[in-house]
Amino acid sequence: MPNAPSTSLVEAFADRFRELSGEAHIIARLEDAGPIIASIVQAESAECVALAHMDDTTHEAVRSAIPGGTEILEPPYPSDGLPEVLDKAQVGITGVDWAIAETATLVEVCTDDVVRLVSGLPRTHIGIVRASTLVDKFTDAAEPMRKALADNPENCSISFISGPSRTGDIEMILTLGVHGPERAHTIIIEDC
Amino acid sequence: MSASTKRYAELNAHIRDSIENPKHSNALVRCMERGREKRTEMLTRIDGGTAFRNDVRLAKERCIADQDALLERFITNCEKRGTKVFVAKSGTEAIEYTLNLAKERGAETIAKSKSLTTEEIEINEPLIEEGLRVVETDLGELIIQLVDEKPFHLVFPSVHKMKEDVAEIFSKETGEVVESDIPSIMKVVRAYLRPIFLSADIGMTGANIGIAETGTIVIETNEGNGRLVSSIGDCHVCIMGMEKIVDTMEDALLMVMAHPVSASGQFPTTYVTWMSGRSPLGETDDDTSRESHIIILDNGRTEMRQDDALREGLHCIRCGACMNVCPTYGVVGGHTFGHIYPGPIGIPWTAQVHGLETAGDFAHLCISCGLCKEICPAQIDMPNMIAEVKQRDSVDHPPPIVNQVMMLADGFAKFACATAPFSNWGMKSKLVRGLMEKTLGLDASRPIPPFARMTLTKRLTRRRSPVKEPKGRVALFVDVFANYNAPELGMAAVEHLEAVGYEVIVPDQQASGYPFIAYGDLHRARETAAFNVDRFAKVAGDDCAIVAIEPTASYCLKVSYPKLLHKSRKSTIVADHTYELFDFLGDHEPDQIDNTSLKGKRFGFHVSCHQRPLDGGNTTLNWLRRRGAEIELIETGTCCGMGGTFGMKAGALGAELSRAVGEPLCDLFKKANVDAIVTESSVCAIQLRDGTGLPVYHPLELLTLS
Repeated sequence: MPNAPSTSLVEAFADRFRELSGEAHIIARLEDAGPIIASIVQAESAECVALAHMDDTTHEAVRSAIPGGTEILEPPYPSDGLPEVLDKAQVGITGVDWAIAETATLVEVCTDDVVRLVSGLPRTHIGIVRASTLVDKFTDAAEPMRKALADNPENCSISFISGPSRTGDIEMILTLGVHGPERAHTIIIEDC
Repeated sequence: MSASTKRYAELNAHIRDSIENPKHSNALVRCMERGREKRTEMLTRIDGGTAFRNDVRLAKERCIADQDALLERFITNCEKRGTKVFVAKSGTEAIEYTLNLAKERGAETIAKSKSLTTEEIEINEPLIEEGLRVVETDLGELIIQLVDEKPFHLVFPSVHKMKEDVAEIFSKETGEVVESDIPSIMKVVRAYLRPIFLSADIGMTGANIGIAETGTIVIETNEGNGRLVSSIGDCHVCIMGMEKIVDTMEDALLMVMAHPVSASGQFPTTYVTWMSGRSPLGETDDDTSRESHIIILDNGRTEMRQDDALREGLHCIRCGACMNVCPTYGVVGGHTFGHIYPGPIGIPWTAQVHGLETAGDFAHLCISCGLCKEICPAQIDMPNMIAEVKQRDSVDHPPPIVNQVMMLADGFAKFACATAPFSNWGMKSKLVRGLMEKTLGLDASRPIPPFARMTLTKRLTRRRSPVKEPKGRVALFVDVFANYNAPELGMAAVEHLEAVGYEVIVPDQQASGYPFIAYGDLHRARETAAFNVDRFAKVAGDDCAIVAIEPTASYCLKVSYPKLLHKSRKSTIVADHTYELFDFLGDHEPDQIDNTSLKGKRFGFHVSCHQRPLDGGNTTLNWLRRRGAEIELIETGTCCGMGGTFGMKAGALGAELSRAVGEPLCDLFKKANVDAIVTESSVCAIQLRDGTGLPVYHPLELLTLS
């Protein structure tokens, strides 16, 4: 948002994400994500965590941060058993392809709908953003969108996610988490 | 009882019911206010503020003009990605296609995400009749589905249901006791819908946008149900209106911004899903079972595109902003002011897709205040389209006689002046007014200001301008009130114009004719516009400005006439040279004003609806403040309810509804601790005097008070 006080895109993104009732965590390196993920999983008393859409290094770092005894669902996800198997995950952790600072939007580009379910079914979602992928304005999204669709000439689902699931359908009172995540976290890694 | 009489009897009964049981209306008005406030707040944060409205307008104009090519391109690009596309001429064709698909796939459950287009064709009933389980997953839609009602508001369909109502609805549906607090209800809703999401065979959505360039559909939701519905079921069916197709990714991003900003001041919705083709769900060898179908619905849209008067309706992006500002909609709600598409834009859309007859049932609730046009992100001229619907409908349904009376107010006033003071005695007589109410439909309880024996026009034609070396000329556009009821006010305006060095002339002219638009006689409206534009274009120029005293008169010259006359050269000249009185005076008066006669009194200012798109009353406020007045704009953000002559009509579809609309504003004035109300509109003045008991003045009258 233009009027929001921001020293950088990262700050602008994080401020706006918090304004949308999300929790933003800014960290210097991927290694710093571990304690944050562990504490979120513990706070949720999650018995099952689902992972998707991360490169190998990130996936490993995230995976190793999940407290022992917690069931981990991860790719490859066989079609049989979907979507039901994901219903037991209390936390979903996904990689974010790029993000928009102005509107605190996580952009998820996928060719397997299981990714949409990992970010959309559990009570809590954690999206992992690389600071270098931030674009400033909402209108800056046109080119990367066009590129994503050109790179995937057949099927492609792109999701913009800006904060937790919300509704105002009862008495216009803002209520979070009606179907999708009630709690939305984003971890922004600066050094990459 | 004739069909017409029956229609108005039913409409009147609905209006009275809404006024007597204001529970729904109160909830709705709160919702509308919140929507407007949030929008205003967001406009201060986005680049360019309201400038996006121009962009949306241009984009929609371009895409609708180019629709045939865009449609073809969209279909080709969708098919390249493996999506199956079907163009349905009618709702029946779309329903048939869906039914066949469900049968072929042996589907049992359809989970739906909110889609107005599926409501337009009422697809749920026939699917349910064929044994399918069809469940709305948007909370608001689910609530009204469970009680078998239609949306009360486009964006907030269940806004009239309080949490107690919702808890009861879910108690009944689940057979469990549901506490009437929102967190408890949410828990129940989540548990109720989760198995439906997970087991749906078909996920059905609408689309807010289709992108020709990439073969992509765009679905906006806040709850996240759109994502689940479009990813889980093996088969995804999207039913979208043909007019939703845009050209480029940039167009789509513009709509994704404009839609929620206008609806509720959000930017963007929490989730925006961009689907191109159909993705698999998990790793599998069988990639044939998952399908995506797009049904592009025509259902009258092609015809609408060929209809010069209604084409603009295709620019609608379904944000619902027009119903957030519509004064009468706020009182009666979407069940009375709407069929399936509610509110102002619901009138032309209903006329097109559900029939003129159905639209005519609620079109006369529009009082032509024009606020919808000012808030619309696509700048759709709804009042003009609604006038067209009223006109077409009047062929089979002659409107009440009182509408004719209101359209002839000018002639009536002329007669009353000629017969004053006798006519004024009549206006004060209860007997006469009672008779007039009975025969003409003019509300007896509304005071009519006395008529002057000598009209303003007559006075001015007999008067020689005292300005010796004028800086220029001002052509005065005289309104009915100044001409017949308040010539002294008109003379005061003339003297002020002369005091800043201008010679005032009065070209041959007719009354503005705005009632013709309001009551749907576009033929006569156009005749009047052409007459006045012709006369004023002759004099307008660098050395001659046009000035009107009444906001509606200025609005006609600047806004209505160019529209009625298809932006003819003359109408543009007239519009470009028209000024509101205080705009002109403020621009031409000296830097130093030694008049501080208005010091020490507190005033509340009322801005009339037609003044909002002009300068919103700002130049008037400045003019008065320079003279020492302590004056603040007091407003609810919508109309005072008078709606020109609407509130002068007797009955539910007149004074009763008018007063109900005006109540919140009158309450604000009463609480504001002001000595008097100031407004430039003579009809708003009647409403405010009536509703507050406070004195109401025209700004020029203030100077002669003390």
